[in-house]
This record gives sequence, structure tokens and C-alpha cells, in this order.
Amino acid sequence: MDKQVVSFNLNGEAVRVRCDPFSSLLSLLRDRLGLLGTKAGCGRGECGACTVLLDGLAVNACLVPAGKAEGLNVETIENLSRGGSLHPIQEAFVEKGAVQCGFCTPGMVMSAHALLKSDPAPGREEIRKAISGNLCRCSGYVQIEEAIAAAADKLKD
Amino acid sequence: MIRRNIKAGEGKEGFPGARGFYDPEVWAKVTGRARYGIDLALPGMLQGKILRSPHPHALIRNVDLSRARSLPGVRAVLSGTGLGAKPYGIVFDDENPLALDRVRYIGDEVAAVAAVDEQTALEALQMISVEYEPLSAVFDPEEALLKGAVTLHDDFPGNIAWENRINRGEAEAAFKDADLVVEDTYALPSFHPGYIEPISCIAESEKFDGLTLHTALQSPHIVREILAGVLGLSISRVRVISPVMGGGFGGRVYGNLKLYLLAAFLSRAAGAPVKMQLTREEEFTVGRPMVAAMIKMKMALKEDGTFLARQADIITDNGAYSAQAPWVSKTLSERNDSLYHIPSISTRVRLVYTNKVPTGQYRAYGNQLANFACESLIDRAAGKLGMDPLRLRLKNCIGPGDTSVHGLQIKSCALSRCLQDAADAIGWTERKKGRGYGISAAIHAGGSIVFNPDFRGASARARLELDGRVTIVTGEQDYGQGAHGAFALIAARALSRVPGEINIVSRDTILTPFSIGALGMRQTTIGGRAVQLAAEDLLARIRDCAAELAGEEVVPEGGAFRTSSGRLIEPVGIAAFYCAKTSGLALTGEGRYVPEKSDYDQSGYGNIAVTYSFAAHACEVEIDRETGALTVHRFVAVHDSGRIVNLLTARGQVYGGVAQGLGMACSEGYIFEEGRVANPTFSGYRIPTALDLPSIETLFIQTDDPEGPYGAKGLGEIVQVPTPAAVANAVANALGEPVNELPLTAEKISRLLHGWECAD
Amino acid sequence: MKYIIAKSLDGALAALQDTGTGRARVVAGATDLFLQEQPDRLIDISRLPELQEVTLEKGLLRVGAAVTHNAASASGLIWEKAAALAEASTLLGSPQIRNIGTLGGNVANAAPAADAAVALAALGAEAVLFDSPGRFYVKPFAGLYAGYNCSRVDSCREILAWFLIRPAGPGQGSAFLRFTARGALSLPLANAAARVTLEKGRLKEVSLVVAPAGPAPSRLKKTEALLLGSNLSGKTWSMAEESASAEVAVRGSALRCSVEYRRRLIGILAGRVLSLAAQRAQRNR
Repeated sequence: MDKQVVSFNLNGEAVRVRCDPFSSLLSLLRDRLGLLGTKAGCGRGECGACTVLLDGLAVNACLVPAGKAEGLNVETIENLSRGGSLHPIQEAFVEKGAVQCGFCTPGMVMSAHALLKSDPAPGREEIRKAISGNLCRCSGYVQIEEAIAAAADKLKD
Repeated sequence: MIRRNIKAGEGKEGFPGARGFYDPEVWAKVTGRARYGIDLALPGMLQGKILRSPHPHALIRNVDLSRARSLPGVRAVLSGTGLGAKPYGIVFDDENPLALDRVRYIGDEVAAVAAVDEQTALEALQMISVEYEPLSAVFDPEEALLKGAVTLHDDFPGNIAWENRINRGEAEAAFKDADLVVEDTYALPSFHPGYIEPISCIAESEKFDGLTLHTALQSPHIVREILAGVLGLSISRVRVISPVMGGGFGGRVYGNLKLYLLAAFLSRAAGAPVKMQLTREEEFTVGRPMVAAMIKMKMALKEDGTFLARQADIITDNGAYSAQAPWVSKTLSERNDSLYHIPSISTRVRLVYTNKVPTGQYRAYGNQLANFACESLIDRAAGKLGMDPLRLRLKNCIGPGDTSVHGLQIKSCALSRCLQDAADAIGWTERKKGRGYGISAAIHAGGSIVFNPDFRGASARARLELDGRVTIVTGEQDYGQGAHGAFALIAARALSRVPGEINIVSRDTILTPFSIGALGMRQTTIGGRAVQLAAEDLLARIRDCAAELAGEEVVPEGGAFRTSSGRLIEPVGIAAFYCAKTSGLALTGEGRYVPEKSDYDQSGYGNIAVTYSFAAHACEVEIDRETGALTVHRFVAVHDSGRIVNLLTARGQVYGGVAQGLGMACSEGYIFEEGRVANPTFSGYRIPTALDLPSIETLFIQTDDPEGPYGAKGLGEIVQVPTPAAVANAVANALGEPVNELPLTAEKISRLLHGWECAD
Repeated sequence: MKYIIAKSLDGALAALQDTGTGRARVVAGATDLFLQEQPDRLIDISRLPELQEVTLEKGLLRVGAAVTHNAASASGLIWEKAAALAEASTLLGSPQIRNIGTLGGNVANAAPAADAAVALAALGAEAVLFDSPGRFYVKPFAGLYAGYNCSRVDSCREILAWFLIRPAGPGQGSAFLRFTARGALSLPLANAAARVTLEKGRLKEVSLVVAPAGPAPSRLKKTEALLLGSNLSGKTWSMAEESASAEVAVRGSALRCSVEYRRRLIGILAGRVLSLAAQRAQRNR
């Protein structure tokens, strides 16, 4: 299979990786780069477990061809808790009981991260819209929404 | 007995130390470092894939594996005839790891391949040629029961996989004497647990005798026994190690046995570890959803609303193979009878084979399906009697000290209080015009003692570590519902420690005591009680050892011990003393909780569980009278699950259960076209998104149960049981006519509103 | 196999014509790539600045084919001049899909009920396509569909660059509505878009498009004609509902809904979307 070198910025570091450019960014992150925090739930953009930020916008890594990352900034869940301390969004998820099985959590946190970057004080409806592409089967979303609202308050301080 | 209500967000947080603590693994999960099954890899690992039947029913004339075997990179190719495996099953042995001479549904496993990578394995599948001779197929369980219908399994003539009749009291006479008889037929499709992580596993087979299986299971010990049996291995040579589980909801009690078996066979043939993973489509097409049900039900009442009798004729759709469907059908057919005083019951249930996806189990074991029928019919009766549906329920509620019609011994019970509080919270007496209101109640058994009548309880070990922390070793499982956190809180309470000082070890069958696992709401009730007893046992041993170390009497003081002379002896010192004294051992406590033997008899009469949890759900809905679109505006869930261990996680369980119940009520369900699953994706099988849920209010009525640990009872399954019926009753209230089919899609409601017929 | 991020429109066209290195196809968001057969080269046009623009020039609203749904939904200019398109872009799929999926892709994939495509059809959009550097032609929207999930935009030969839309002027307004079984992550059971021009409180021009009804967004011309000259009363919208329901040719599916229900639903949406468009037209003085 023809391979291509794709260069992009991953969690603040430049990476160059030879890969199948048509394969998904998800498989590049998980299978080639060993970043297993981004989860795979459906492979069709229908569950949001693989949500990462592409130039600051939430996308389904399973629907992004690896070649599309060329020259862009890719941010994954691994970037949020560097140095061992939790990001305020993650703290809020812990405090509000927003994590049950935890499988949707990384994608959910990344959607929240994208939201709070663009809207530091979202209302409950904005929060719901922002996570509407992330399925969670455990929580009924209530505590996730509470956590994102609490994270917004934390980030303001 | 009833303590007080806890409203979400106020008052007590649960057991001591519950505030800010709920899951020892939460840090790993929230940072993306938790390792789930899909994340696992082993050196030299192969990828396994399965060739599946494209036919709903066919004879296999020939399977040619030769071309696939010769493909470079392929390490093992298997078909059913080469395996030499015995049929297996959970209730009866009606399955083979790979089909032998016949396939019975679209997706039936025909051949399996292990190769160096997924691409090669998929290519190899395409090189296997199978000659089929299609047979006529039957998809509708009622048709499958007709004389002359094609038979799926020779051992099960008439396609009846399992049948049960229950007669209590004098149902026939009651119907004759009744002032009112109401009846209807209710239909529910198959529902899938819908966990977001697809099932996967890695099998490492040893050459002669041995298997290590890495997969997340709710009941790893029981799965280990089944695997050993089918693979012909010694049980103690089979080890199941569970990674973190991406959701279970009953779907991972046994998980996907076929996948594990095939991975083990492939690994044995290839001499290397084999990873297998279901795609999302496979999850829906060959995973194990819950049975679909057709429930014909009749109820007899007195004019004053007293329940006299209930009669039910239930058909459950088994699909092609059986798994746990008989047990699900049994729970479905019985559990709701114990919610009220109903003196006479006459029920027939038939589980029927069809050429469709085989079924398994899903949270609450079908209780929610029958609850929809029972609680809808009660509302109809209330309508006929001109009685408030709330009052009719309150009049017939079961209560503490009662023995139900099936012999369930109710110790703690706040059912009527749940109903009343749910009604109050939704505003039952000031219902708004233009909205619909519905209420429904539920009972669910917490901690089954009849799953295996000889093995009723659970055990646990507690060990004092050299650092002074305490490790709890349990065979019970956490799949996100908070069992580990609850165990830590229970142990911490028994030991006067903070929960953060408790380690939990589970998820590995060679390290943990045998356990039935996470099913039947037995984790907190039975598993938690064993943890409590183990911790108490350890505390006594630590105390003895502290006294020996001090050479004087000691009394416990905040996790440490005070000697009579006033010295404080810390656990660290005691652990070191004991370790030195025994040349390496640790102080260990054992807890065994063995509930009393049940009087459960052949007819299914008798007490079945250590505790019973209760709930009432109420909601307010609105219907767009043009399109039929349903909006649930507000939802109230009131639960009696005894003393709440951790309010934060208890709320999380209720929110999640209600969300699943709302999915069943509004948008979920399998759709079949000629036996083919028409909606095998998350866009077609519509579990709720964040934009689909109402505001949900949770309320706990805290009873003190004499059996559960510190008065706690189960919560994880009952949370979705009354939800579908509450919504259906609200919709019926809004429409002014009954509904008897789920899910309540806009199209169905439109048809009820406008009376149009469907031509296609 | 090569994934080429185009830096200029001419460069993209040159790469497309250079068949020496195998078959090439144009992509933008590429979200549906996993569903399709893969060519040898993909030419990603999503970063071409001129294809991401939304401008108003020479009396026409020009919307780039590489504008993402979220960008369209955030564009004040689109809301003001072509509200139906902004609305359609707001409701589609999920935030993740809207962040990467583009208007051009929504049309070129030729799904029968693509939200943005239905809005563009009702707005009377025209498509500007390039087949070689400097050579473009303008096609009416209706001419872009060849069949179910089959576009006349040949992504192996040409590049869909812009949509040209007559902007809403005084007395003009547009709207889009969709009906789904779920709040997000759902294809619509039905959708509808309308654009109207009012004169003296009556409908002077009407464009009404619904889907799914056949392979392409379906314009209901009989209903449009019937409504001309009508006032903005509830009676008019009921008439629209009835007429649309009778006129539309629909298919049912076990997965989504029956023919009968879809027919009703499309009627209801038609009445509602026309009323909404008319309200906007009234406000637009």
C-alpha cells in the first residue's frame, strides 16, 4: 500500500508519520501513535467517542482521513492532563459524577473543551447542543451537563 | 423505618466519606488512561474475523477453506466441522461455536480466520466459499407457533424453546366474579443494551490445557466455567481477566460467548494470541439484544378498585438461539405480579424460536417489558372505574411485611410513598391542560438467591497492607455503575477509614473468590454485604493483633487503636508486626454472606432475593397534534433502594436508567426486514442524545433494609423498569386513548390521533 | 495513493487532470469517504480560501462550496440573505459533522434528503463548476442530480466551487424545517425549505422544496402555483399542506416511516415552512 508522510502538530508537538493517508485519523492516533485515550465506538461518526479537536474544532476522528491532518493542529484527550494534573473540565467531570463506565468520557471532555474555548459561559441549551454528537449510555447526560457548567465557572476564575 | 427523603443536590451525600468519592478508577477514565478491551494488545497478536451467514435459514452443503488457508499472513482458518466442539448454551445447549450443517439467522457464524492483521483476515474471509441450500424461514413468533411452520431446532418441536405456566389462587373464578375486566395486547420490540464500547477479547490458548481470556465481563467466573466446558479445559487452567468495561447493562454478563470461544479456538490453532472485536454493525446484528414480547393481558377488579386477578398469555421472541432468554422470559412473566396485592394469577409464557438475531439479556431482565403492559392496563382499569390511576395503585400497593402472590418476602418497602412523592413532584393534582401525565410503579429483586439455589451469596477478602491501606478482594464487577466505589465506602465504614484508603481488587478469576457477578442487582446488596463482613472480620483480627503487639487491651479509634495506657497504634505498625511474625503474611479477614435458603418450590413459589427495591416514575408530556411528535417535558423518579451508599452515583444510575427507559419508550427498538436487522447502526437504532431528554428529578425514600449492607438495597436495574410505562400512560392521557406498542414514534401517535391506516 | 491538500483552485484542477498518477477525486470534508470506493488520489479542496468565502457581490450571494455547516450557521450574511440555508446548516447531523462537512459535499454526495441541498434548491441556487483552470460554467441546482446518491457533479473531473443565491430583498424570506426521530445524529424523516416573495400582503413568488421524495430535493411546482396570490392566513397554509401532501411522490422505508406518514409529514412541514418564510418576508422591509 502506498504510504505518504503526513506532518501535523499533535498536542503541541510536531509529528511526521508515514501512513496510509486515506485511513482514518482515529486509526493513526490509536494504532500508529499509541494514543489510546481517543476511543472507537462505531466508525461512522455516530457516537462521538473518537472526538478530537482539529484546529480547535471538535471532529469525529473516525471520519477524518489521516491526510487531512496535514499542517493542522490535532488535540486529543492526552493533552488535557499533562504533568499529571487534571484540566478543570476533567476536575468538574470527577466532582459531578459525570463518569460512569468512562468510555464516552474522553470524547465528551473534548467536545466540552471545544465548546468552552468558543463560548466561556454557555447556557444549558448550548451545552446540550455541544455534546449532542456524543452518545453516552450510562449517565442520561445530566451530570455531564452539570460538569460542563461547573467547568465553565472554574475556567472563569 | 423510613428515614427521610434525600433530594438530589441537598442533604446527605450517602455513607461517610461519600462526598467527592465514587470510583477509584475515575482519574484514569477522565484522562483517557483507563484501558478498555479495545485498547489491549499483546506481542505477536493476530486478528480474528468471522464469516457469517447471509441467509436467515439454510443448510450448509460445503465449506471450502483451502484458498483462504493459502493466503500469506493467514495463521488459522476454522469451520464448524473441524472444531469437534460440543453444543453449548446458557440454559440449554442449542448453539455451536461455528455452524455445523445449518445456519439459522443472518449473521450465524460459519467460519473464522486469524491473520497477521485485520485486512488480511478480511481478505481471507472473502476466499472462503460456502455452498448453501436456502430453507424457508420464519420471522414472526406467532407464525412460528403455527402447525406446519418450519422448525429451527429438531430438539424443539413447534419452535417452543421454553414454556411456563403459573397458576396462583383462583383466577378463573375471580374473572367470573369481577365487577370489571379490562384487557389488551401489548407489543414490544427487541432492545439492545447499547453500551458504547463494542465487545472485544484477546484469547491466549496454551498448547495442551489452558486459556487466558482478556475481556470485560459482568460474570467472569461463570463465563470461565462455560468456556472450560466447551473447550474441554480444566477450569482452573482458564483465567479471565477483565479490563475496564465500556458499559454492560446486562449485555456483558456473558458478553459474546461465541466470540470468546472462536478466539480461543483460533489461538489454539495458530499458536498465538488472537484478538477479536465486534464491529458496531455486528453488535446489533449478532450481539444479544433482549427478547421482543407480545403480551396479551387481562385484569379483574372490584368496583372499589381492589385487584382480583391477572391473566397473561405471553410470547417472547427468542431469535435463533437461546442464551438467557428463558430466564428473561420468566422474570418478565412474573415480577410485576408482586408489585401489588393480586390474589390470583394465571400466566402462560412461551419462548419461541425464529430465524432472527439470538437474544440475551438487558438490564432488568424483561421486567420493564411486562411493566409496560401491567401498568398500562392498570390505567385503563382506572379509566373504566372513573378512578384516579394514582389512587387505584395506592389502594393495591404491596408493603413491608407482606408476602407476595409468588411468595416474595417483602421486608423493607416504601412503594406507596414512592408513588405519592412521584405524584406530588410532577404536580399530579394541578395537571396542566394540553399536557399528558403518567405514573408507573415497579418492583425489582435485589440479590437473587435462586439463580443458583445452592450458591446464594457472596464472599470477599480484606487484607491489611504494609502501608496500612486495606485491600478488598472481590469477584464482583464494576462496569461503571459504581460497585467498586460502593465497596470502598462500605469497607471504609466498617473499618472507620476514609474510602481513599481502600484498594479494590477484582476483574481476575485467579485472584478473586468465585462470584456470580454483576447481575440481578446483587453487587451492593449481596457483594457489598460480603465486603462489610470481610472488613468487620479483618477489623477484629487487626484489633487482636494490636493487643498482642501492645501487650495490653486496645480500643478502636478512627482506624487505629488506643491502648489502655494511652498509646496509639497505627495500622502500619500492626501490619509490619504481623508480617514479621508470620514471615510474610498479611492480616486477612474473610466475609461470607450466605443468605437463608429459599423456600422456592417447583412451581416457582417462594422468596427469590434478599431484598426488593421499589420505584415510581411520573412524567409530563406534550404531543404535537399535527405530526404526532412526543416531547417529554419533565420526569420524576422516586426510588426506595434502602439506604443510599453514595448519592452522587445513585443519582447517576437513575438518570441513566431513565434515559434508557425513555429510549425504549420513544425511539429505540430493532426493526427487521425479512429477518435482516434494518437498523444496525447508532443512527438507525436511536438511543437518546443530550437533546432528547427532559429534566429529570430524582428522589430517594430511604428505608433500612435488614439484609442489605447498612440497610442498602439494589438500584442499578430498577431504574429503567417503570419508565416506559410512565411515558406510555402520559401519552395515553394526552391522547385520551390507550397505547399498546413501543416505541411511541411520532408516526404511531399520528396514527392514533388521526386514525389513518398504513397501506404498506 | 496520495492525499493532496490543494493550495489553489488552479492547482487543484491541474492535479485532477493529471491522470498519470492514477484516478483522482475531489473531496472537501471527506466525512463520507469511508462509505465509498477509494480512488488513487484525493484532492482536498477544503482549505482553498476562495471556496470558504461568503460574499455579496453584484447583487448575488456567493457561498463557497467548502464552507462548513457550522461556518454557514455562524454567518450573519447567510442568516440575513438566505436564512433557509443557515437553518439547514444548524440542524444537520452533529456538531462534529457540522465542523467538517461542507455545503458542497452535502450537494455532491447527492443524498436524497441532505438538509443543505434542500435549502439550496428552495433558494434557487446555481452552482459554479470548474473543469479546468479559468473555465467554469453555471448550472441550475435541479441539474445537479443524476439519481439516488448519484450526482451529476463529477468529482473526478470537475470542482464545485460556489453556490450563487439571489439574496433575500425587501418582502422576501426563506426558511427550512426538518423532522427527525431524534434530537441529533439523525437523518430527517422529512425536510422542507421555502422561499417566498410578498407583494401587498400576498404571495407573489413561491419556491417550495421537500425531501425525501425521489433522488433529488423535490420542488412542488403545483403547490407553488396554487399559492400564488394567496394571503398569509392560516387557510393558505392549510391549503399548502393539503396540496403538498397530495403532490409529493414519496417512498416509505421500514427504517424510517411509511409512505402515508411521510406524505402527511411533508404536507405539515410544507405549511409550516411557508408560514415561517412568509413571516420573515414580512419583517424584511
